[in-house]
Amino acid sequence: MWWIVPLVILAVLVLVSVYYVNRITMLSNRIDNAWSQIDVQLKKRFDLVPNLVETVKGYMKHEKDAIKSVTEARERMMGTSDLKSRMRAEGELTRALKTILALSENYPNLKANENFRLLQEQLEGIENRVAYARQFYNDSVLGFNNMITTVPGNWFAGLTGRNRPREYFEIEESEREPVKVEF
Amino acid sequence: MEKVSFFDEIEKNKRNSVLLASSIFLVLMLLVYTMSLAIIPEFSIFIIAFSVVFVLIYIYSTYNYGDKIVLRATGAKEVKEDDRRCVHLFNAVDGLSIAAGIPRPKVYVIESEEMNAFATGKGPEHASIAVTTGLIKNLKRDELEGVIGHELSHIANYDIRFATLIAVMVGLIAILSNFLIRGMRFRTRGDEEERKIGFLILIGLILAIIAPIMVRLVQFAISRKREFLADASSAKLTRYPDGLASALEKIMKVNRGKMEVSEAVSHLFFVDPNKSPLDKLYATHPPIKERIKILRAM
Repeated sequence: MWWIVPLVILAVLVLVSVYYVNRITMLSNRIDNAWSQIDVQLKKRFDLVPNLVETVKGYMKHEKDAIKSVTEARERMMGTSDLKSRMRAEGELTRALKTILALSENYPNLKANENFRLLQEQLEGIENRVAYARQFYNDSVLGFNNMITTVPGNWFAGLTGRNRPREYFEIEESEREPVKVEF
Repeated sequence: MEKVSFFDEIEKNKRNSVLLASSIFLVLMLLVYTMSLAIIPEFSIFIIAFSVVFVLIYIYSTYNYGDKIVLRATGAKEVKEDDRRCVHLFNAVDGLSIAAGIPRPKVYVIESEEMNAFATGKGPEHASIAVTTGLIKNLKRDELEGVIGHELSHIANYDIRFATLIAVMVGLIAILSNFLIRGMRFRTRGDEEERKIGFLILIGLILAIIAPIMVRLVQFAISRKREFLADASSAKLTRYPDGLASALEKIMKVNRGKMEVSEAVSHLFFVDPNKSPLDKLYATHPPIKERIKILRAM
């Protein structure tokens, strides 16, 4: 009966590693899902931009630069593929849109435009959702990184081939500053 | 560390739901058995067979349609995204479901001046959230987000599955035990048989009286702990505990505790809908002041 002890130990080991491997995989999948949540919201915002530019153009004749920077930021987004440059382009678009919305305060006619009001409301809703999606993404990354860097998760991380900590979605330095607008 | 505690909470809720459903089944069967012995012992086998089927169907439909029953009972109406009155509500629900990593629940509105909200459903995939018009009207954005965050964490933790099961069960057990106590009066039987079944009748009576009380005690004990937990999770979602705290302060001022809802569903709500003068022990919700104090200290 001596063989029963190692057998039990082996069974426990197998069960424990199955649990951790599944858990690590699940946490990693959650990050991917979180990223796609951000993506959905960014896509919505991306689609709103041409509409906004069309509406704003007629009213804000003197703000060519601000409008141009929105269009440019949007174009730059189309060309990016990796996470880093994508984040930077998103930051630029966020900032350019904020500038436009801040400038619109100067144009009472524009602010009275029903279409613009709707767009503004939608944009604010999307910005809010982007912020929450980013929070969920970073929470997911935190959960995953904690798992694979602490005992005993780090022993099993190698088994899944996911032993590298994932990157956080950081806010660009320039995005933290308040928008400067000259009147 | 992060998700582990919530993970445990989810497992516990799922397990408790199964435990609750099976113990309800047993209690109901005992009730029915003594009831049939007391009233018509000749047919007890048929009655029991019939009620096994009935109770199984009942538990199954409670599990699947409990949320609809609760929503109906509270007079909640579903609203769609394009409803202009609810733009902020939808923004809050949308954003926070993303933050909680769950699909967006269906949104319902209850016409009432009182400020309150609740969530119900089977789990994150089949969930509904209901808020009163008073709540939408009186709260600012970050306050509303605090309340919605609280309800969404009930959904994400599977609190709603357990709580909805309880709500419908409380109703049924109350009806059945009432029925049993009334049924005793119509009994006509000889002395000898009386003694034989007297013992069983006694058990039945005790059960009939104790079962509703037991269910209510469970209802109280669990829901108070859950409220604190959901407050904390809401703060984790919104990263702004003061929003929820000031929402609670407003509610304390505005609410008169006169929402016309059944006792069976009162534990689902954000704050106790029927403010009773009864003591702390009998309350389904922790005192609002205590909740505010904890949130302000976060």
